[in-house]
Amino acid sequence: MLVEVAKAAEIAPGGMKFVRAGGREIVVCNCDGRYYAIDRRCGHMNGPLELGTLDGMIVTCPMHHVQFDVTTGEALNRPVPEYIDEPLPGRWAQYMKHFGALMQETSVCNIKIFPVTIDGGVIQIEIGP
Amino acid sequence: MNVAARKRSLRYFFAKVVAPLGYKFTPDNDLADYLLEQESHLEEAHGSPFCPCQGLTQNHEDNMKIVCPCIPYHREHFDYMKRCWCGLFVHKDVTDPDSLPQISYEDFRKAKDARGSGEGR
Repeated sequence: MLVEVAKAAEIAPGGMKFVRAGGREIVVCNCDGRYYAIDRRCGHMNGPLELGTLDGMIVTCPMHHVQFDVTTGEALNRPVPEYIDEPLPGRWAQYMKHFGALMQETSVCNIKIFPVTIDGGVIQIEIGP
Repeated sequence: MNVAARKRSLRYFFAKVVAPLGYKFTPDNDLADYLLEQESHLEEAHGSPFCPCQGLTQNHEDNMKIVCPCIPYHREHFDYMKRCWCGLFVHKDVTDPDSLPQISYEDFRKAKDARGSGEGR
């Protein structure tokens, strides 16, 4: 099913736009005039990828800096650990210790990509069943 | 993670960082490929693509100074050698990377001090 989601002119080169189509959350990326559509949610902890950065064909999640190739949906790295050089107050320290232990057990999945066509300046995304 | 895909993306990002510093990837593609592979393994283990030829310590600040490309933290030393420590990057004018030896920081300092005192005479 082809779904019209935006006009091509709405997304500047290097930009991203969050759209909803076929009940999905999708981000359309303009990689220097070539358009790609990816799942909005990071394959690590569901971070909203359109709030991250797009550099060339690589999108970086704003939460833990996991990167994905928008042409393939492939995850390129693991989350970058935070470094806090000042001691945290009691409950925060406990929480972060707990959170850090859980983070060790997370994995990063590839994200889904969707075929894109441009017709008359309109971006269309092929949404699968 | 897919190591080949990560190597491609590291190449893309690193090239943008080192070009304004006057550096490029070594023309020795096999060496570059090998070093990038080691960096992607280090990144997977430690979260950052550390230089594969320098040891990690317990000191976070010191470790951050060897995240590739670490040229800005060792600029004078690397400019003197016309290469970075592991040889992944060389000055843009270098065509024969094998001709560039690693020079220890101590030897670099000695050479620099000797040159400085010579100039002063």
